[in-house]
Amino acid sequence: MPPKSEVLQGTLDLLVLKTLDTLGPMHGFGIAQRIQQVSQDVLRLNQGTLYPALLRLEQRGWISSRWGVSENNRNAKFYSLTRRGRRQLRDEAEGWNQMAAVINRVLKATS
Amino acid sequence: MIESILALAARLLSLFRRRGLDRDLDAELRSHLDMAVEHHLAQGMNSEQARRQALLDFGGVEQARQIYRERRGLPFFDTLFQDLRFAFRMLRKSPGFTAAAVLTLALGIGANTAIFSAINAVLLRPLPFANANRLVFVWATDRQRGVNEDVSSYPNFEDWKAQSNTLEALAAFTTRSATLSIGEQAELVPAVQCTPGIFELFGVLPQLGRTFRQEESKPGLSHVLILSDAFWKERFAGRPDVIGRTLRVNEDPYTVVGVMPPGFRISRERPEQVYAPLVRDPNRGHGFLMVLGRLRKGVSIKQAQTEMSAIAGRLEGAYPSQNRGVGVNIVPLVDAMAGDVKTGMLIFLGVVSLVLLIACTNVANLMLARGASRMKEIAVRAALGAERWRILRQLLTESTVLALAGGAAGLLISYWMSRALVASLKQFNVPRLADTHTDTWVLLFTLAISLFTGIFFGAVFAFSAGSPKLREALHQSSRQATEGARGSRLRSALVVAETAMALVLLASAGVLLKSVLVMRSTAPGFQTKNRLTVEFWLPPKKFPNDSRRIQFFKSALARAETVDGVHSAALVADLPLGGGFDSLSFHIVGKPDPAPGKPFQSLFNVASPGYFATMGIPLRAGHEFSDRDSTDTTQVIVINEAAARRFWPDEIPLGKQIRLDTNLLTVVGVVGDTRQLGLGTAPRPEIFLNYMQSSPDWSWLVMVARTEGDSTPVSAALKSAAQQVDPDVPVTRILPMDDVLALSLAQPELWTGLLAVFAILAVVLAAVGLYGVVSHLVAQRTHEMGIRMALGANRGDVFSLVVKQGLRLTFVGTLIGIPCALGAAQLLVHLVPSVRPGDPSTLTAVSTLLLSIAFAASYIPARRATRVDPIVALRYE
Repeated sequence: MPPKSEVLQGTLDLLVLKTLDTLGPMHGFGIAQRIQQVSQDVLRLNQGTLYPALLRLEQRGWISSRWGVSENNRNAKFYSLTRRGRRQLRDEAEGWNQMAAVINRVLKATS
Repeated sequence: MIESILALAARLLSLFRRRGLDRDLDAELRSHLDMAVEHHLAQGMNSEQARRQALLDFGGVEQARQIYRERRGLPFFDTLFQDLRFAFRMLRKSPGFTAAAVLTLALGIGANTAIFSAINAVLLRPLPFANANRLVFVWATDRQRGVNEDVSSYPNFEDWKAQSNTLEALAAFTTRSATLSIGEQAELVPAVQCTPGIFELFGVLPQLGRTFRQEESKPGLSHVLILSDAFWKERFAGRPDVIGRTLRVNEDPYTVVGVMPPGFRISRERPEQVYAPLVRDPNRGHGFLMVLGRLRKGVSIKQAQTEMSAIAGRLEGAYPSQNRGVGVNIVPLVDAMAGDVKTGMLIFLGVVSLVLLIACTNVANLMLARGASRMKEIAVRAALGAERWRILRQLLTESTVLALAGGAAGLLISYWMSRALVASLKQFNVPRLADTHTDTWVLLFTLAISLFTGIFFGAVFAFSAGSPKLREALHQSSRQATEGARGSRLRSALVVAETAMALVLLASAGVLLKSVLVMRSTAPGFQTKNRLTVEFWLPPKKFPNDSRRIQFFKSALARAETVDGVHSAALVADLPLGGGFDSLSFHIVGKPDPAPGKPFQSLFNVASPGYFATMGIPLRAGHEFSDRDSTDTTQVIVINEAAARRFWPDEIPLGKQIRLDTNLLTVVGVVGDTRQLGLGTAPRPEIFLNYMQSSPDWSWLVMVARTEGDSTPVSAALKSAAQQVDPDVPVTRILPMDDVLALSLAQPELWTGLLAVFAILAVVLAAVGLYGVVSHLVAQRTHEMGIRMALGANRGDVFSLVVKQGLRLTFVGTLIGIPCALGAAQLLVHLVPSVRPGDPSTLTAVSTLLLSIAFAASYIPARRATRVDPIVALRYE
């Protein structure tokens, strides 16, 4: 098993947006679980940092939140992607892919 | 971009619902942890492990909450609100201190706001004209006489206008009094005669009718009239059919062609009622015009001044006899309109800034006194990890809150103060002063000085209290925690500064008061009791020659003397202290002129027989004019003693002759001096001509009546008698001589009163400051006093120890203040010309007064010190 790595600065937003895009409305715990599962536990997410990130996204109008009831009948705050958030996800994902491709090329060229 | 705005809005909004949001966050975090525990339980952990794991995964709950909060709100504002809440709590906790500080600041800020709002109305607010900032006054100057604001002649005005490039328009006017007859009644009204383009220069359109046409400045076409709005409303009830009506002005028919809008005013002395076209006067030597100009766009005053000076230089070369020494002085219209009052107002702005500085110093002192008891609190906060800047910020917030509260209260006070100010200045007819009101600029000014004030005394306080020596402060018991030597030196310095400033104001008020008292006790040189003065205006057209004039004089005097209660009556042109005077040049027979081409100069006046007796002016030699003098007898003059001393120093002036124009005049009498120009001005040489002989064709004329007993009841009868002499000769004013005297003192007395108010305010503030410092010192040294007394010092020793301390501070302040006061007093000449800045007796009196007040302020704390019980004081060890 490869060593766990911290979530890169700035990528948490993208991960959260993508997660919400996939899962639909979801609460903070669910989002954290999902990110860890999908990354097959490679990413170590400090769950506490998720909440300021969610707040930031909400302040920018990319996600919205409301209180609801979880699958286990628990009160929880559910976050969902807004239309602007979807657009933001597209742009950011595109930017990420481009950047990743560039970095890949650079790595290949030098090795 | 839009995201940042949304985010900012969200963060701002969150500031107002912090509590709800906090609950929300707590619920969310709790629900997260519960779900996590549930999840781990489901995976087979026991509840202990599940809980541990959940918290481990989460990271620090408290940190998360902290980051979340910072992210949610705006940390700057969060801190600010925190500081504000704390500041309010602190201020509420000590209501006495808060009230004293707010009141002190309110007085200082209020005084500043009041003076500023007057300055704003008169000097700063743009004139209500298009391009007002490009309008200028173009004064002539006279190097020979040293005059900077002189009138100009018509031909000079024409040449300026033709040659100037920097001024795109020039117009000239002169102020006159005109007799206006509507129906039977003649009335004297202030009038302006102006060149046709003047309204266009101001960019003001008439509200009715039209302005003057260019050709209406030609003789024969010039009998058209424009009315002021006030005159139109008062005389014609604002009826539009006034256009085309004919009024008689100085006996000539004039057609009304227009009405100016409300508030339009050209003359700065008295609001004019009517406008008439100015007819060209070809005499280049006759200066009578005030010239206005509009700068071309982008041209500075300086450029215009340079060009106009060059033009004036050329004119001087071309017309050396009439234009010798004549230059040009360009002044912005706003400044020119404000006139003398401008200097007065700026001086008072200086005065109130001093008052504000004293108020600031006082509050800084109060805060320092409190700071000593807060030292411990600050030290504890520092010990708990508060950064230095955080503590400073807290202290500055507190002082700013205080200052803003003071500013708000000051605004209220200023409303009342500026109303009083406007009311008391009303008699001087200052243009636009009546518009004084609180506008945006005044509010901004108040806000600015409040903030400045808060930061100023906050910084003083923070400087001394903000960085406590932690260990020392914590070591000491709260009672002993002191601000240390630095703080107490600072406080003493503040008191010294305060005293010095108070002394400056007190000394200024003192010298003004002294000069007013001197003026009051000055004998005017004539009697004022039971004397009535009646002012006439003789329309020149109606009295073209001496015989017509003499006929009028005789019938007026005859009629006045028939009035019941009138003992005697006489005529004079320029009443002493009446504001008017005329200076003429003449030659003395048998003596060379003082310099070739420069004859003797003296005040000239005209009087009727019996004038000196009626006024109670003593006869020193010879005799006064007699009824037998006429145009056929020898032309006689009476001179005053100052003239006798000046022109015939070692001779007997009786029988000597002077030449005025072509007339040969013989001195027949010498009379006592009167204060012609003001009680504070030395009598000037004055020569009286006789009304019953050939006299200058001046239109102004005053009848003086000496009444039997009180003059008030005679006033009405005399007025109606005077009006019956000739219906075309208007009576412009009827006033007891006592009032004429009082009026001549009105302005000096007003300035003195105003300054005295501020000086008293300053002294009270300074005394309170001193009291505060001394009582604080006593409180701090209670322990020491106790030891001293235990060791045998008696109450007298302790008492003098404390009082000496207070007096020493005041004495140093006085020593510093005296030279400053001497400097400041130089400015006072602008307020009251006869002031003597370096008057030693006033300075002594003022310093003594200040020291006595200091003694009184130290007395109470000193008494308290003597009552220290050594046992009690020592018990605190």
